[in-house]
Order: sequence, then structure tokens, then C-alpha cells
Amino acid sequence: MSMTALSSAGERDRLIVKLGELDRLFCLALILIAGIGALMMFSIAGSNWEPWAGSHLTKFTLFFFMMIALAMIDVRYWFAMAYPIYGVGLALLIAVAVVGDVRLGARRWLDLGPLGSFQPSEIMKLGLVLALGRFYHGISAERARFSWWLLIPALIIGAPVLLVARQPDLGTAILLALTGLTVVCLAGLSWRVILAGIIALLVSVPPVIMFVLHDYQRDRIFTFLKPESDPSGSGYHILQSKIALGSGGLLGKGYGLGSQSQLNFLPEKQTDFIFATLAEEFGFVGCMVVLFLYGTVIFLALRTAALAHSHFGRLSSAGVTATFALYVLINGAMVMGLAPVVGVPMPLLSYGGTVMLTVMIGFGLVQSVKVHRYSEVTSGTGALL
Amino acid sequence: MAEPSIFFSEVNERQGAFHRRAFLLGGLVGTGLAALGGRLAYLQLVETNRYAKLSSSNQFNFRLVPPPRGVITDRHGVVLATNRPNFRLLVSREDGAEPEAILNSLSEFVAFDPSRKARLIRDLENAPKHTPVSIMDDLTWEEFSAINIRAPELQGVTADMGEVRVYPHGGAFAHVIGYVAKVNKADLTPTGPNSEPILLHPGFRIGRQGLEKSLDLDLRGRPGGQKVEVDARGRQVRQTSDGDIAAIPGKTVQLTLDADIQTRALEVFGQESGAAVMMDCRSGDILCLVSAPSFDANGFVRGMTGPQYQALAEYDHKPLFNKALTATYPPGSTFKTMVALAALEYGIDPQATHVCNGAWAWGGRVWHCDKHHGVVDMHSAISTSCDIYFYQVSLMLGPDRIAEVARKFGLGEVFDIGIPGQKPGLVPDQAYKRRVFKKDPVWHPGETPSMGIGQGYTNVNALQLCVMAARLANGQKALHPRLIEAIGGVAQPAGSAVSDLNVDHRHLDFVRSAMAAVTTTGTAAATAQLGLGDLKMAGKTGTAQSHSYGGGRGVHGTQGAWALRDHAWFVAFAPLDNPRYALSVLVEHGGFGGDSAAPKAREIMRVALMKDPELRAQIEHPTPMPDIPPEAVAEGSAPPEPTPIGPEGPIP
Repeated sequence: MSMTALSSAGERDRLIVKLGELDRLFCLALILIAGIGALMMFSIAGSNWEPWAGSHLTKFTLFFFMMIALAMIDVRYWFAMAYPIYGVGLALLIAVAVVGDVRLGARRWLDLGPLGSFQPSEIMKLGLVLALGRFYHGISAERARFSWWLLIPALIIGAPVLLVARQPDLGTAILLALTGLTVVCLAGLSWRVILAGIIALLVSVPPVIMFVLHDYQRDRIFTFLKPESDPSGSGYHILQSKIALGSGGLLGKGYGLGSQSQLNFLPEKQTDFIFATLAEEFGFVGCMVVLFLYGTVIFLALRTAALAHSHFGRLSSAGVTATFALYVLINGAMVMGLAPVVGVPMPLLSYGGTVMLTVMIGFGLVQSVKVHRYSEVTSGTGALL
Repeated sequence: MAEPSIFFSEVNERQGAFHRRAFLLGGLVGTGLAALGGRLAYLQLVETNRYAKLSSSNQFNFRLVPPPRGVITDRHGVVLATNRPNFRLLVSREDGAEPEAILNSLSEFVAFDPSRKARLIRDLENAPKHTPVSIMDDLTWEEFSAINIRAPELQGVTADMGEVRVYPHGGAFAHVIGYVAKVNKADLTPTGPNSEPILLHPGFRIGRQGLEKSLDLDLRGRPGGQKVEVDARGRQVRQTSDGDIAAIPGKTVQLTLDADIQTRALEVFGQESGAAVMMDCRSGDILCLVSAPSFDANGFVRGMTGPQYQALAEYDHKPLFNKALTATYPPGSTFKTMVALAALEYGIDPQATHVCNGAWAWGGRVWHCDKHHGVVDMHSAISTSCDIYFYQVSLMLGPDRIAEVARKFGLGEVFDIGIPGQKPGLVPDQAYKRRVFKKDPVWHPGETPSMGIGQGYTNVNALQLCVMAARLANGQKALHPRLIEAIGGVAQPAGSAVSDLNVDHRHLDFVRSAMAAVTTTGTAAATAQLGLGDLKMAGKTGTAQSHSYGGGRGVHGTQGAWALRDHAWFVAFAPLDNPRYALSVLVEHGGFGGDSAAPKAREIMRVALMKDPELRAQIEHPTPMPDIPPEAVAEGSAPPEPTPIGPEGPIP
């Protein structure tokens, strides 16, 4: 199939061509990460597929094909659905604030009866990126730099962030805020505003910590600053994680031989702290391989964003990438004792269907942008609907 | 080659800005990932040794292992106290586990009665978290293995194998050896050996009574350490045999006691209350030290219920009380041996006679004797235990001369045999009255006749009377009793390594022959026959008032309430010609010494004599009668015993 053939009209709408346009290296990196995650889960379950490894692989396989299916959807449909998805997400966040289930002291879950329950903030991670992409698609670089128009993205970001922070779910709120701000910056926000924002943020951090945060959130931050002060209490997670990492050394203790994770010293070893399990059993080398895979995924996704012809495609896929990168960086920093313990998993490596679903839907959008990078997306309804 | 693209300048500006900033974002993410890599390198390459240490201190715990407690044996190596394996059920309170729920799930395997369950729940709630509390001892193997298999599901439950103290002879040695028990808060001290952490181990027991208490530090041993792999809850996952520190067992303690004599001695008391002490009168070794009735010391190791303990504590025969050492009684007529010796030493003629017609008026009182003995000299006064004779002789001597001899023979003395809490008793003299009776510091002559028959202020314990008998029998040495033969193989000083008695041996011979007459023609003639051929036992009976009879002379209390009856004594040694064993027997409220104590002494003495290999040979092969010439053997009778060819026998 030559470039000439691809340039002919309608050729790019053929399914086989679209499948060929998928980023194969990107897919390979995703499979490797999820596979390594399953490998670790198999180890910490005592060489057992139950309860995590098998389920993890099954879900990943399902979501991987779902990602490919989503990638086949024209980017114009994504464009058309951007506001509706955001709207549904926002409505659910409001609903959860009113009727949500309280679990572990936080009102985050919405009970769907027989379908189980889910956290609407997950929908918002995608909805926010889509809505911002759609908004910036329609305004000029001048307005995106600095104008009254920016009140709209401020509202788009602010509403869900506040609702999620009120649940309270500080980790997700910060993630949403950072994702949204990243998109705003990518869209061309004035450097002066960015600089002023950073300074304002730094100044406002101490009072926010003292007066706005909940006790448990403040505890986590203080614990992070001085974990040794309370090794059996709230400093336990960080300390045990660092012990797991450090004792792994260059090559690790060997597969299935990590005493920290096998003997349950490591808390949440299959979810938030799976990276520490990996570090303990495979050492520095294993960690660098996984970080390299994550770097590959992020680089390929950003390249996809850069190659997109539509501004919506660029911004939304870059937003998804930013979310993913934030997951990786925050979780990595947390596991290594560089950030407070916030409930942010290592995407695809950690056990847990919700985040994997969110990430894979997001990557479905990224691959859709890749496959449909030449699509013309006009303003309004996206010219399709 | 033409690819569709948009060429609006406005759009190109947006695209340009995005490209620059996406590039920057990529750089930032790359920097972040690099920072993580750097942090990893720091933790995993630079600091790895430190974290490896922390990791292994997480993974491995040293568990204290209680040392096996030292074994206690008798003189022949018969085990009197040892340890046996004990399958034990331990429960520790973990997070979120209700003690009641744990016990309920355990009742599938073992039975708890409701009161025990309530107590265990309270114990568990009071215990600190993660500290194992012993729930049940002596599980059967089936129970142990069933629980062990299910232990991972039962939060906080472990079944382990420890050791528990066991006294195989039950009650026979309970007063000597004592017992061990769980450690109390009162046992713990901030410093010294009782501050060691092993005392907090649920399997550790501390010596609570007797030798277990006084030799506790010797018997205790040194705890070992066991390296175990644990999980985050402190639950044992695996044992690793490398890196264990072996526990050092406690020292073996060998006693001078003979298990057979001791067991028989307790047996002959039956339901009666009393004490018996036997010594080897050549070495001073205590062969038996019994207090009856006794109790099963194993009960204290297990821990008794309230009613069980109450039954022991409230019984009027006082089984928990060591009557051989910690109780004193008037010696009664057994003391007459001392008065007689004092008289001989003072120079009173033993041939001099007194007339006994059952009563003697002196000092405005009538002094009684239990019989009309008629004309008595010293020899017959001892053998028939005439009080009238000794009233008068003691008046000639005065208290100080009697006391001097009595003390020489060990009365009123506390002998350090390793058991604490002995009572010294009292041998009174004028100095004693001056010292104690501030208002009336004078010895009245009327107090002397009572002392002459072993009453009044005079008080002794069974061990002292046994020492007295042993010193009388030995004649040479002021023997000391010895109970502990060796600790950890180190022999303790022998009781014969002491100074001489310094009593004229003719006087001793006289008293001994009078004591021989006690068992042939005297007060114990009917009850002290050993039935072992030539082997004879000498002794002296004693019947001591346990309380004042009130106005005038009452009957000897052999009738009426048990607690008002007289105490019966018998001191003895055997064999007569070459004494080896000395014995004192007390029967609390037993009535007459000859009727009650002497038969028990006879039975105990028989065991000792028959266990002695030389004496046994003598009993089984009596030396031929010298007055029967060999030719007098009738025709057809069995040929004479062939002369055994010993090592020094004639060489054919």
C-alpha cells in the first residue's frame, strides 16, 4: 500500500486501512506494561493466577480490543460527543455528591444496582480533556493566549475539580486540575499568566494545607515530609515502600522472592504499590525497563498529538497523554517517597479495572486521532452530525 | 504525495504554539521520568545496603525460646521433676479481631466451658496487642494438628509446642521440690535475673515453692533465640534453622532423697497428718523428707481453679504446709534422751533410782505420769518413758545444762538444706527467759519439770529431731543434714564434713542401749519390730500435748476432737549395732507415740534397710549362728552353705 493509494478519496475510510494506521509500537508497549503488571500480581499471589493476575490480563485484553474499536471511530464523532460526555460526567458528579455511597469516609461511588458501582470522576478525566479540546478548537490563538474567553475553560476545569475535591478525593482532583491546566497551557496560554499562576500556587500552598484540607489529607502530607516520625502509623506506607525499593538493589531479590511484598509488609502491593513490588523483585534494571516503556508510550502519544491536523485532535490526545503521564509521575514519586501517599495507581501496571478502563478509552481517542489525523474537523457540531 | 492540510494563518499559529509546547511537555515528562530513574538509582544502588538490612529485620524476628528447666533427680537418678512436651494454643489480639469471635471459632476444635471462656476473653482484652496469650495447654496431637492446619485462617491463633514442668511422683515430693507457676507481675524486678524478657514468654515458669524457688536460677538455664520469618502481622511464616541460638538447659539437680523411701513414707501416713525425716547417720544425707498429707504439684503448674485451691487451703490437715520444716511441736518424751545425756554428762548416777507411783507432789502441784512404773533407774525410765524420773532429774540439772546438750544435738537450729521458710523452734534456758519475758525474766523451778519431759517452751521440728537421732546414732560427728547432693554435677559439701560432737561415747552408748530397750521391752516393744531377722531398730517414743489440758491432769488426748489430740513422735535409728539410718516421725494429733508414730517409723525404716545392699545381703543370708557347730547338723539335712569366694577369699 503506497502513499499514493492512501491519498485517493475514501481510501482512508476502509477498515483495513484504518487498522494499518494504528501505532503498533505503542500497542506493544501497552501490552508489555500490562503483562509485567500481571507477572507481578502472579508473584505476590504466591504464583497464583487468582485473585489478581488472571483478572488483570482478562480485563486488559478486553479493554485493548475496545481501544482498537474506539480508534476506528472518526475523530469528528469524538468531537461531536465532547460536550455531551462532559455534561454527563458533571451531572453524575453532582448526583454522587447528593446520593453517592460513602466508602472509606469518602462519597465517591455511585451505586448502579446490579451493574455494581463506579466513580463518576473517571468519566470526567476523559470528559474534561474532550470538552477543553472542543472549546479551544473553536477559538483563535489570540483568545487562547489571554482573554475573557478563558473564563470558560476555567469553569470547565473548576467545576469538576471542586466537586471531586469535596468528595473528598484530593488525588483525583489534583489530577483533573493538572490535566486541565496542561491542556490550557498547550493551547497557548500566555507565559506571563503561567508564571503568575505558578507563583500564586506556591504562595497559596501553606494556607491551603493548614485550613482547607481534611485531617487525613494533612496527615498524609506531613507524613510524607517526615515518614520516620511514625513508622508504624501513617509513615508506614512510605517507609515500607522505600524499604522494598532499596532492598531490591540492582537486579532485585528474584521473581517471587520479594520479602516485603510476599510477607505483606508492603501495603496495597497489588494496586498503588505494585511498582515497589516490581522494584523489589527485579531491581533497578526492571524498574528502568518499565520506566522506559512508559516513556515510550508517552512519547508516541505526544507524537500522535503533534501529527494531528485538527486542533481538537491535538489537544484532546495531548490531554489524555498528560493524564497518563501524571499518573505515572505521581505514582512513581509516591512509591519512591518523593510525594505524599495519594490514591493514584500506576496505570496498566496496577490492579484495578476502573483506571485501566479510563486509560484505555483515552488511548482509544489517541489512536483515533492517529488513524484520523487528516480528518477535517470543522467548528460547530463537527460537520458530521 | 499531497496530504490534506489546512493553511489558515490563524490555525498555523495555534499549531505552532501547540508544537512548541507539546515539545516542552515531552521534555518535562522526560525530565520527570529521569528524576524517577535518578531516585531509583539512589535508593537501589547507593542506599541498597541500608534498605536490605531494614528489609531483613522486617522479614526475620528472633523469638525467645524458653530453656528446658533443669531436671531434679533423687540420689539414684530417679527423675523427680522434669519437662514434657506440651502442645499449646496461643491467641494474640490482632487488629479488628474480637476475642470472643476467635474463641468461638476455636471451639470447633477444643471445648471451653463458659466460665473459662469468660476468663480468657478478659485475659485477651487485657493483654497488649500482638502478645500471645496461652489459651489452652496439653492439646492432643489431633487437636494440635487440626488447629495448626487451619491457623492461617484463624487470625491471631497459633498452636506451638513448648515444654511444661511435670512431677512424675505426684505429691510425694511436693513439699521438698515445690512447684513452678506462671510469672506474676510481683515476680518481675527492674534489674537482676527477674528482669529478663524471657519471663514474659507465655511458656516460661518461675519456681514458686521449695527447691524450685530456692534453686530457680540454677534450674532456669539460658533462653535461646529462634530465627523465624514473619509477615507484616508478626505471624510466623517459616522457620529457618540457620541462625538459631540454642537454649542452654538448666542445671540438673541431684537430691540426696531416695524416691522409694520417700514414696513409702508418704504412703504409710495414709489419711493422717504428719511428717517424717530420715537421714543417713554416717553421711548426713536426707533420704526422705515427707509432709503428709500432700498435694499434686502438677496442679499448680497447670494453674488451679478457685475451688480446687480452696479445697487444699482450707482442709484442716493442711496439705500445703510443710510440717517437717515449717511447723514446730513440743518434742515430748523424745526429749528425754537429751535430759538423760545431760544428766550423765553432769555426773548423775544412772543406777540411782526413783519411785514412780503415777503422781509426784512437788512445788505445790501434783505432777503426773501415765503409769505406775515403780522403782525406775535411768535405763528403765527411758525405755518405759517414766515422767516422774525425769521431773526429778531435770530439777537436779536445771534448764541450762539440758539446753546445752539439746543444742549440741541440733535442736532449735535452722539447717540450711536449701529450703527456705524453716522454723527454728526453741530450746529454752534462763537466758531465753531473761531475753523474752521482760516482765518476768526469771526461770521458775516449776518450769523445769515440764522441760524435762519435752514440754513447756520446748519446740522442735521433725528435721531437728532426725538430726538429733542421727547424731545420737553416729556418736562421732555433729552431722549436718544435706538435701542437695549436686547441682549441675558439682557436689555440695557433705554433712559429715563437720566438727566432732564431743560427748562421752560411754554416755551415748548408755542412751543408745536404753533406746534399744524401748523397742524390745519398752513403750514401742509391740509396734517397732522390724521383722528383718537380726536387724533391730532403736528408738524413743514421744507423746506431746498439742494444747493445755486445762485444770488438773486430763487424759492423754487420744479421744475427742482430732485437733485436740496429742502429737505422736517416734525417733529411731537402725541397725542397732552399726547404725546407718536415723529417722523421726511425727503424727499430728496421732495420740501415743508408740501406737501411732512407731509403726510408721518401722515401715519407713524397713524400706531403707532392705534397699541397703549390704544389709539386704545380711537379711537374705544371715550369718550362721556361731553356737551351732557344723557337726551338729543332722544327717540328711541340706549341706551347709558353701563359703563364698570373695576377692580376698582363699586361693585354691
